Amino acid sequence: MQLVRKGEPGAFDAIYERHSTAAFSLAYRMTGTRIAAEDVVQESFLSLWRSNARYDRTRGSVRTWVLGIVHNRAIDHLRRSVVHDRRRASDEGIEERFEAKERTEVEAARRDEAREVREALQTLPAEQCKVIELAYFGGFTHSEIAAMLETPIGTVKGRMRLGLEKMRHQLGGWQEVPS
Amino acid sequence: MSFGLPPSSTCPHADDAGAYVLRALPDTELRAFAQHMETCAGCRHEVEELQVVADQLPMAAPQLVPPPDLRNRIMSVVESEAELLRAAGPQADRPPARARPSRRPRFGWTRLFVSPGIAASLAAVFVFLGVGAGVLLSGDDGPGPVRTVAASTAPEGSSAAVEVQDDVATLVVRDLPAPKSGRVYQVWVRTGAAPKPTHTLFNVRTDGDARVKVDESIAGVEEILVTEEPSGGSNIPSGPPVIAATVN
Repeated sequence: MQLVRKGEPGAFDAIYERHSTAAFSLAYRMTGTRIAAEDVVQESFLSLWRSNARYDRTRGSVRTWVLGIVHNRAIDHLRRSVVHDRRRASDEGIEERFEAKERTEVEAARRDEAREVREALQTLPAEQCKVIELAYFGGFTHSEIAAMLETPIGTVKGRMRLGLEKMRHQLGGWQEVPS
Repeated sequence: MSFGLPPSSTCPHADDAGAYVLRALPDTELRAFAQHMETCAGCRHEVEELQVVADQLPMAAPQLVPPPDLRNRIMSVVESEAELLRAAGPQADRPPARARPSRRPRFGWTRLFVSPGIAASLAAVFVFLGVGAGVLLSGDDGPGPVRTVAASTAPEGSSAAVEVQDDVATLVVRDLPAPKSGRVYQVWVRTGAAPKPTHTLFNVRTDGDARVKVDESIAGVEEILVTEEPSGGSNIPSGPPVIAATVN
């Protein structure tokens, strides 16, 4: 990160290599189209390059920082959309073409980590999983979710908190795979 | 199994922490909750704990490799901005000196820069406007002027042009439809009869715009062409050009 701060493209390239798969995967999961995901990732990494001094290591890993930027950009993209009907399905079977292969031990460990998080999410009661997915990956606010599910806002917020609490217990010993 | 209640069941924001870390609070509530946390240690603690989970959620997305041309597009912008920063020299990183008109250099614009971020943004603006930044930086020994050549062929409703500076070409397209899924646009250079492939593959933004530097010298090149090819590019064009521009 020191070198990225100094405007060194090689160091920035290394950050991109390490985190672009997770970034693209998150952007694609949220936007549902390859082109929008590419736009979000491009905007995010260029914003990261141009605001290189803002990373604060006390607030989390580089990956958390990068994915936080991608998440915010993707939400902005979704909320800018005139049509609030977000696609959840893949476009033209992109997963098969681009699915990350396990080439190294780090990638295999990341895949295990991803599986663990997915399982933690999917083993939640359906209504808790649903509100978390709609909020985090769909970019919907609690009031939009409440209207969509015809459920009181307080219930939606309660489900979010309870679901996250359960995931926290389930992922208790979780540690981020080092880059 | 108990997962614990919020720190205080009487706290009016007891359930907001989850929505907060998921970014599901509308703006007005977000501001109110952020303000509330300044005085509520219980909610701060709850947010800290749930934020750890929210930070892991991206990994629940199926892991997909981004297309290689995305990296090329990003790195080409990064490298061009880094080059301009380097050219601006150490002054680019320093706070602006107090204005001393009598000693102001003829091209004292680098003094305007206060950080690499601002410098990069301004540099990007210069590039976007097609201003030969190198001319400003290097005087008479710098790159030659930029000339713009409109494409003779482009899909209906779109436009394309090539900016040429010395032997370097930059393709600028507007309102170009995205290639079909799994395909990319590839740039070719033609000197004689057969077009020669370049490594320049690109896609367009959602608004159909793109600005792409051709990674091949165009010295002696007569025409720049663009075709739609399978992801990864081709050695022989698989269809007629969607864009053609005569540059020499």
